[in-house]
Amino acid sequence: MTDPIGATKTIMEEKSVQTLCRVGDVPADEPLRVVLPDDHAVSVYLWEGSYFCTDDLCTHGEASLAEGYVEDGQIFCPFHMGSFCISTGEPRAAPCSEPIRAYEVIERDGMLLIER
Amino acid sequence: MATQTPTIDKAPGRWARKYPHLGQEPLPVTPYVDPAYYEKEKAQIFKKQWLYVSLERELPEPGSYKVRRLDCADTSVIIIRGKDGAIRAFHNACSHRGNTVVTESGQETYGHNRAGIVTCRFHGWVYNAQGELVNVPHEDRFYSCFDKASNGLTEVHCDTWAGFVFVNVDPGPVQSLKDFLGGYADHFGGFDFAAADYGFTYHTTLDCNWKVASDAFAEAYHVDTIHAGSFPNVFQAAIEDVQLFGPHRTCSVRLQLDTPPASTPIGDLANERSRSSLAAQAGSSSLPPTLNPNQDPDWAFELSVLFPSVLLHVSEGIWFTHQFWPIAHDKTLWEGKYYLKRPESYSELWGFERAMVLQRNAWLEDTATMEDTYRAMLSGAKKFQHLQDEEILIRHNCVVVDDFVNA
Repeated sequence: MTDPIGATKTIMEEKSVQTLCRVGDVPADEPLRVVLPDDHAVSVYLWEGSYFCTDDLCTHGEASLAEGYVEDGQIFCPFHMGSFCISTGEPRAAPCSEPIRAYEVIERDGMLLIER
Repeated sequence: MATQTPTIDKAPGRWARKYPHLGQEPLPVTPYVDPAYYEKEKAQIFKKQWLYVSLERELPEPGSYKVRRLDCADTSVIIIRGKDGAIRAFHNACSHRGNTVVTESGQETYGHNRAGIVTCRFHGWVYNAQGELVNVPHEDRFYSCFDKASNGLTEVHCDTWAGFVFVNVDPGPVQSLKDFLGGYADHFGGFDFAAADYGFTYHTTLDCNWKVASDAFAEAYHVDTIHAGSFPNVFQAAIEDVQLFGPHRTCSVRLQLDTPPASTPIGDLANERSRSSLAAQAGSSSLPPTLNPNQDPDWAFELSVLFPSVLLHVSEGIWFTHQFWPIAHDKTLWEGKYYLKRPESYSELWGFERAMVLQRNAWLEDTATMEDTYRAMLSGAKKFQHLQDEEILIRHNCVVVDDFVNA
């Protein structure tokens, strides 16, 4: 069966801009957990003056990364002290080995947004 | 129990008259040197009674935890504040293969985790502050008979009083902390322990039985001789206001106002600028009516024993503890912790520092006797010790410990 206008593909890949929080909501010393309208949780970071965002659920131990610690541009999971790069989501320290999804944070009109 | 009326009997033998059941006879040395007696103390006292293990303020926020090693009860306990604010305590033993969950760095280990969890570093089992096992790496490789829900940490009884955290490792039902403290809690409960959180701590391990160490601090008879250097002619050798509260006990120590110690310019200046030393005349603004109830000018501080092995001292703007943790029948960890209110000026800070150095010197003088006493006891030369009436707190301890051991 053909799909001459490619509608399905377009819908599957369509990203929506989603609001995370106000700019001032993210403390400098700890991540902020945000639950999006579809119940998907992300973790928002303020690190050296810039904002970052990743999925909240650790790919290793099912911990909330927002309850972890940010150091040297990495989020350290509170369960087993594995880590991910908060910019790319790549694992940096074992036992984490699968990347987490990272999002580019858009700052607009005093709000922080991501596309997903 | 209501606070008892202070006695006015000053004649020798007054405490024996007030507490005739404690007897007057010499007391045997055996309970101090016999390893079998110590094993009974562990079983009947340290594994069955409430033990002071932390201050609430040592666990300042959700996820804060402390591990206290309890050699006297063959365990160590994790005391953790949960996200609900409640403080709970658990054996520091993993359900997997029994490793300590929190790796201990000494007798007291502190940590914090924002997730309110502790993780065993051996294989990564994760427990929350309710003790529940919340994460097992490679859980799918365990057999079907493994039940995660029933393999949390082993909880121990935990309760608080006046900012102090206690545990009781007896696995069965126990007397409530309130009932255990009884009149002792009424006597000291009005004192604002939280107001004084600035101070110092010392600890050392001593080659002596825990009762030798505790006894050395539980009378004022030794002050004239042992503390001739740090507190010359400062305190009276007789104690006042002796009260027994079940296994606990208290008294007040008095200043020698009739023959005051030689003053020094530094000491006078320090005492004028700060109330930080037991050697200075006390006011009573921070004291509840149970302490120095007659506002006696010579009242210096309250010397009490919180059974089994904590000495709690309270004075105007000051409180401190000596805690004696048995490690073996002939080895004791001593911890001294001294607290003042935070200084508000540099002159007050200077006065505080002087007071703390003075107190440190006194503690060094005290602890210097303990190993000597114990070596002499081990010689077997003396089978009994002879206590005078003003050493009634020691006699009470001997009787109470013996009652528990032989219960």
